[in-house]
Amino acid sequence: MRFVSFRPASSVLAATALLLIATAPSQAQTRAETLRYVTGASVNTLDPNIPGSTRESFALSMSTYDRLVAFGRKQLNGKWVFDLDKITGELAESYDVSPDGLKLTFRLRKDAKFQDGSPVTAEDVKWSLDRCVTAPILGKAQLLTGSLTSADQFKVIDPLTIEVTLPKPDKLALPNLATVYPMIINSKVAKEHATADDPWATAWLKEHTAGSGAYVIETFKPGEQVIVKRNEAWNRGSPDKPAFFKRVIIQSVPEPATRANLVERGDADLVVDLQASDVQSLEAKGKLKVISTPQYNSITFVSMNNQIPPFDNVNVRRAVAFALPYDDMFKAALFGRGAPLFGASWPDGKPLNGIYPFQQPVKIDLDKAREYLKAAGLPEGFSTTFSFNVGQASTAEPMAALVKESLGKIGIKVDIQKLPDAQMSTQINEKKLPFYTEGIVAWLPSTDYFYRNFYTGNQRWNYSSINNPDLAAIAQEARFEPDKAKYEEAGRKLNAMHFDLMPQIMLWQPNQDAVMASSIEGYTYEFHRQVDYRDVSRK
Amino acid sequence: MTGLGATMVRAGRRLLSSLPALFGVLVFTFLLMRVLPGDPAVFFASGPNAGKEEIEQIRKQMGLDKSVPEQLVFYLSDIGRGNLGRSMMTGQPVLKDLRERLPASLELTFTALLIALIAAVPLGVLAALRPGSVVDHGVRLFCALGVCVPTFVSGLLLIYVFYYLLGLAPDPTGRIDVFTSLPPQRTGFLSIDFLLAGDIEGWWAACKQLILPAVSMALFVIAPLARITRASMLVSLGSDFVRTARSVGLSWRKVVVTYALRNAILPVITIAGIVFSTMLGANVLVEKVFSWPGVASYALDALLSSDYAPVQGFVLLMASLFVLVNLVVDICYGIADPRVSIG
Repeated sequence: MRFVSFRPASSVLAATALLLIATAPSQAQTRAETLRYVTGASVNTLDPNIPGSTRESFALSMSTYDRLVAFGRKQLNGKWVFDLDKITGELAESYDVSPDGLKLTFRLRKDAKFQDGSPVTAEDVKWSLDRCVTAPILGKAQLLTGSLTSADQFKVIDPLTIEVTLPKPDKLALPNLATVYPMIINSKVAKEHATADDPWATAWLKEHTAGSGAYVIETFKPGEQVIVKRNEAWNRGSPDKPAFFKRVIIQSVPEPATRANLVERGDADLVVDLQASDVQSLEAKGKLKVISTPQYNSITFVSMNNQIPPFDNVNVRRAVAFALPYDDMFKAALFGRGAPLFGASWPDGKPLNGIYPFQQPVKIDLDKAREYLKAAGLPEGFSTTFSFNVGQASTAEPMAALVKESLGKIGIKVDIQKLPDAQMSTQINEKKLPFYTEGIVAWLPSTDYFYRNFYTGNQRWNYSSINNPDLAAIAQEARFEPDKAKYEEAGRKLNAMHFDLMPQIMLWQPNQDAVMASSIEGYTYEFHRQVDYRDVSRK
Repeated sequence: MTGLGATMVRAGRRLLSSLPALFGVLVFTFLLMRVLPGDPAVFFASGPNAGKEEIEQIRKQMGLDKSVPEQLVFYLSDIGRGNLGRSMMTGQPVLKDLRERLPASLELTFTALLIALIAAVPLGVLAALRPGSVVDHGVRLFCALGVCVPTFVSGLLLIYVFYYLLGLAPDPTGRIDVFTSLPPQRTGFLSIDFLLAGDIEGWWAACKQLILPAVSMALFVIAPLARITRASMLVSLGSDFVRTARSVGLSWRKVVVTYALRNAILPVITIAGIVFSTMLGANVLVEKVFSWPGVASYALDALLSSDYAPVQGFVLLMASLFVLVNLVVDICYGIADPRVSIG
């Protein structure tokens, strides 16, 4: 009976263990010059202008293409963040703004070359900007916010000079040119691949690049990984030097626990989308560098649809605002990793300044909440649903449970509804959800921009569906207000109205937790909320 | 030889008769996706400034501006020309995505099934030889454990032990270490492509990546395979021909392996076929945990974002594979037991 002494299970395990005793990886010499960045998302197009492109695609395009100008950076509480007010040249050597603010003149760098070696000319710049405002791509809606709407506004003066004319002195015109979309494309190459149906070569540029950026695409596997190598001729970052890393590997690793393991074991260098609990434990271990920056251009809300009863009653909205257990929610959802937008004290009952987003003087006060409900004529409370999307479940689920519990105490019965992401965005767009949590982000965070885009009009981003002509008028006027003091005054007025009307409740600004090997330096929080690979280097 | 020819003809006929079922699956999935709430256009138009115009544009791009019957006609004529549409998620044609990802899933599933069979059949035979003994109970316990622990838990545990604590396994990020260069693509199965290219080091690297996910999948399916082997071995060991074989003094090996096992293997093949098809579609959790670029995780991502084309393509692929697997199982029957013929 030989078979009886044979133990298949242990043999399989032994064989497995033998197979696993592996030889160490032998690429140590290039490893230090390679940045391995892991993420739960993935790059799906090489042209960020394509509708449906992901945030990772935005980040990649920052490295593969240059823009005319770029944002500088500043220190905020000891951490580097992008600086909206400091705009430096990227492909432009210098730029002038005419005294009336209607003309922007850019002079191009003489040494700037595309990755194929041909020089960057004003013709290329014009073609690229024309494409951005004419082709059916994402750049159109973005540049609209900076009064850039037509190809006639871009004029070639000479091969190295381009002039942009504005209908009004728009503060956001110049910053808009530093965002993701108006990248400068090698027009000669792109035109070769343009067709009659597709004069702006969108199909070709989705799979290929023709830029002058710091990195060249080596392999692009949508949904899996992108590998880029350094463009040695690029010198637009620190003066006259190419980017630090010779290679960057951008790899999709869907499981957050695996990403945490990878970076802790030193196999990955940098990750920005870990779960808050993992970040906390990695930070406690102290082996890695953790840079947490409140995402100061984004906000998480509890939104109420101001058009659907009972939330059309301002007192109901106020009641909810004073019945949320803010501190508990903040701890349960984010482990306190972020900047709170609740619990302010306004000594004279007025906003402290005109900057949006701001901390509102709300805190949990159930007696006050009950009074507001009584004033709304609903002393017994009511029933409603609270929705969030599956993609945000890790933060929204614990939060929803707390909302339900706390509102239950003042008689508001809440059913929690978890929706698949596509379903949630459809219902938000159709204004069907009464009560839910969502987040927003603005690339160019200024007070009027937030109010114009997130508090006016019958459009998707107006989560609360608020329709207040006064608020809309003040925000619209502030847009072109050149006087700083008057702008500040308008901001204060808007913020006071926000607290008074309570269209939706600002909760917090979550942290961007960048976790990296201790040798990584230069990480900067960027407006697109991803890593700009050109910023980082290794000690 | 005529036997083989006849089998082939019958297999062909059987394949043809499954076409109506495939067509049904095609139409059903198409309609199902349209009925699901959630508008893909709104989801994908989620740039910070995307408004109505962008949504309309994506709708047009995806062909959603037409009526459902019209869309169905377009879809069917596209399928007829071998075009499965384009994925919004990856921006690639679905056919290309599936062609790249299917070998990854197949390689993983085949390996897992192989490991499971290698472990389960001897385990089942051992348990059947000594019913009620310590060995039998041990096998039962092992199987119960394998079934109770969900694959993603065993996957995460294996990663934790072999990668995180011991550092023996390579990082669980897909089919191959990012620093290893890929062999020229011939079959899409990395372990075979590396061998064809004569790159033993690469082959080893690919195998190392494969072991943990394959084992965590195998653990889950060892139980049904071992249990069915045991049950059918018990029947076969108790039957007259085994008693006769024993009484005429045939060797132990001949009795157990040649006579008992060969007769007991039919239900195991059936179950293995079913297990294979299920694994291929249901290994999404393992694929997610190990960042395995397979078809199942691709389909799940597509489903969450209401990306119609990849989901439809995936279901069609799975249906076709199921037909194929059933066919292969039937042919295997014929080999294991010449009395069985497929019709």
